[in-house]
Amino acid sequence: MLEIRGLSKSFGGVRATDNVTLDFADGSLTAVIGPNGAGKSTFFNLITGAFRPDSGKILLDGYDLAGSAPAEIVRHGIGRAFQVASVFPSLTVEETMLAAVGADQRRAGVLHRRFPLPEMRDRAEHAMELLGLAGKRNRVASTLSHGDQKLLDIALALVLDPKVLLLDEPTAGMGPEERWRMIDKVRELWDTQKITVVFIEHDMDIVFKIAPEIVVLCYGRILASGTPAAIRSNAAVIEAYLGTEHAGGSA
Amino acid sequence: MDLDALAGCLASSACLVTQTTSGLIIGMLLFLVAVGLTLIFGVLKVVNFTHGAFYMFGAYFAMTSYQATGSFVLAIVCGAAGTAILGLIFERVFMSRVYGANVLMQLLVCYAFVLIFDDVVRLVWGPEFKSMGMPAAFQVMPLFIAGGVVPPYYLLLIGVALAAAIVLGVGLARTRLGKVIRAAADNPGMVSALGINTGALYGAVFALGCMLAGLAGALAAPVRSLTPGMGFSVLIESFIVTVIGGMGSISGALIGALLLGLIRSFGSQGFPLFTDGLMYLFMVIVLVARPTGLFGKEVA
Amino acid sequence: MTELQAERATKTLTTPRDDAASKGWRYLDVLIALAAFAVLASLPFLSSSKALLDFVIRCSAYGLFATSLNLLVGYTGLTSFGHGMFFGLGAYSFGLIMQRTGASIPLAFVATLAITAIVATVIGAICVRLKEIYFAFVTLAFQMLIYSTILSWPSFTGGDQGLRGGIPRPVFIGIDLSNHVQLYLFSCALLVLGLLAMRQIVQSPFGYTLRMIRDNAKRAAFIGIHVWRAKLAIFVMAALFAAIGGMVMALFVSGAYPEFAYWTISGEGIFINMLGGVTTFLGPMVGTVLLLILNDTVTRFTDYHGIVLGIVILFFALGLRKGLMDFVVDWAKQRREKGGSA
Repeated sequence: MLEIRGLSKSFGGVRATDNVTLDFADGSLTAVIGPNGAGKSTFFNLITGAFRPDSGKILLDGYDLAGSAPAEIVRHGIGRAFQVASVFPSLTVEETMLAAVGADQRRAGVLHRRFPLPEMRDRAEHAMELLGLAGKRNRVASTLSHGDQKLLDIALALVLDPKVLLLDEPTAGMGPEERWRMIDKVRELWDTQKITVVFIEHDMDIVFKIAPEIVVLCYGRILASGTPAAIRSNAAVIEAYLGTEHAGGSA
Repeated sequence: MDLDALAGCLASSACLVTQTTSGLIIGMLLFLVAVGLTLIFGVLKVVNFTHGAFYMFGAYFAMTSYQATGSFVLAIVCGAAGTAILGLIFERVFMSRVYGANVLMQLLVCYAFVLIFDDVVRLVWGPEFKSMGMPAAFQVMPLFIAGGVVPPYYLLLIGVALAAAIVLGVGLARTRLGKVIRAAADNPGMVSALGINTGALYGAVFALGCMLAGLAGALAAPVRSLTPGMGFSVLIESFIVTVIGGMGSISGALIGALLLGLIRSFGSQGFPLFTDGLMYLFMVIVLVARPTGLFGKEVA
Repeated sequence: MTELQAERATKTLTTPRDDAASKGWRYLDVLIALAAFAVLASLPFLSSSKALLDFVIRCSAYGLFATSLNLLVGYTGLTSFGHGMFFGLGAYSFGLIMQRTGASIPLAFVATLAITAIVATVIGAICVRLKEIYFAFVTLAFQMLIYSTILSWPSFTGGDQGLRGGIPRPVFIGIDLSNHVQLYLFSCALLVLGLLAMRQIVQSPFGYTLRMIRDNAKRAAFIGIHVWRAKLAIFVMAALFAAIGGMVMALFVSGAYPEFAYWTISGEGIFINMLGGVTTFLGPMVGTVLLLILNDTVTRFTDYHGIVLGIVILFFALGLRKGLMDFVVDWAKQRREKGGSA
């Protein structure tokens, strides 16, 4: 279980994250939404160690990760995919997966053959198949389409067996059809892998359709959290963010 | 290591004065070269590894001009203007091709030209050490300040360098061109979007940087011996200065250059064989404490 | 364990490349190495030219150095301007140990590596945290610091004269390095073994960790890689191979000179890498041969080798815009693609 307690971060005079307290239950699927500048990416950055929080705790199964380096946090089980796909341009899809697993294995090092253990290959293979990239295994990452790079980005996070998967705008930069395909994939992953998934999303149609839990951030603070129905009828959320299009009504 | 000599020098006002002025002129010459380097880096984001060659050309142009005309003022002008023109040509024809490329490519192109320039100088002027000699106007009695010997030329050198620094500082801060240059250093894309001819701007900045190096060379010509390859040690030292002061910072270059000049002059008293080593040690210490230099900004 | 792991435990996947094939990797490299050594070893018997053997020995020294530099530059993205310091350190350490202690050559060899490892760890720990151009400068500063120290300590290092008096070569396990052919074979062996070792590093999972750091260090950290530690490790490893190159050089000239630690060695290393290409493993080796041939030929024909060398560099930098092996690989790829679509 991922518990956030009183997480705060200021940049200069701006409170980017303001005393955020949240729980993410094991195996939950949560969407984090909010207007631009609400601090959603900052929130992810704090959890994954890209920024050091000014105060607060980040408890993964009771262990406080606040202030740890990104590499440590990843090894504890928090994986992250990026808004702008962050991959390794010169490596092929397969090499990327194998290299990531190879880096994960503390035993694998300088003296080993290229990708020695069948177990490593299996993990890489599995992640590629989950994201539908197995057919493109020999494509160099820089030649992949934008959508495929985002898939590779997620595969990279997934192949490390995270307990919590943070997806920063998985549908960013995609057209409407592709967006639904991507979010369906995310939902499928969550269904089959039974890990905790948190994703940032701007498309309200998608959010209300897919996510069992929604957290609304505004000015770094939690404006509301709960089921889609609860969020839809929340007056503060409507005023600050939703407008009347998505307010009230049924799914 | 001769710490007694160093201690003795620090105790004697005569030695203090002599070494301090010596350190000052080393520093001011270094400053001129370094500020050109840091300007080029700040605006063009490229490290000009040929910078020492322009120092060399400045000296040789000045010497030849002086030998031809006997006018010191003309010599300085030739040195500065000649290197400005050469720098402009070099930048437009060659450097501009490797702006986007990685630093190794830039280094390689510059290294190639250092080799070529050194040989060209050897071809045209010959490989032997040459000297320009002190211009007649300065062949006067040195000044005696607190017992120390201060050749008047040193004062001129310091004065001209300081004047250049002030003109540069004011120019960058107050004139329109200066503002454009500073803007380009901060946000090159925006500057071109504003319709400013970046090609001309880059050429101008590069030429300005080279001119400063050439000016330093011309000023140094009366008091240093000229040889092809004289640019190399100046290059290394001006690098140290810019890195210590912070790439892109003019005040950093000034402080760094003065510090280095003083370390050199006093260091040569106490550590005659290790004087260069002192500089590198100083550089290591500064960079370990502050990797971006004393006044440098964090490169994004 | 998580559901994910349980699921995988029951799945048996057929993977495209199984264990036997990855074994094949290692064996192929060894085979190539043996073949190369066989060819080199036969040279003294095919040709009576001492100059040819000398040329190969110099290629060994520089080749080891340049390939070790590529571990940093090409595979990790660490542009070091001061790598030559380890070449010089290797040469001087070895020379001094041999001259001043009665050590055997193998012992001096190991001791030199140990010294280099210690120095590289200290310097590396300071440098690898720095970004790009600052890393380059500080490594250069350290190199010049070492160079200045060598120059200013004549009682220990011989100052600007270098180590004089030659390097003693006591026979070890039947090998007599004062015999020119045996020295030649020894250098070739070191070259082949060194390249093989570096090849193993590069093809290992650690080698892929380095590539990930080169391509996207930020993302590498988010994969759980301790970037700093990996960089320090490769910095030290590269230093060791550079030092071996230095030792070969020291044996060859029977001494050590301050030039071995001067910045021009680093510059030549970088130049070699650009000439030969940084994207292939043997690129630096090709570059080494090219540079040495270039140097030797040009100095024979003209005094003004600066101009000639400069023009050649410009040809590669502005014309080809990549090293020779990079160019060959790209050209081959293009031909394959054209042939496929025909």
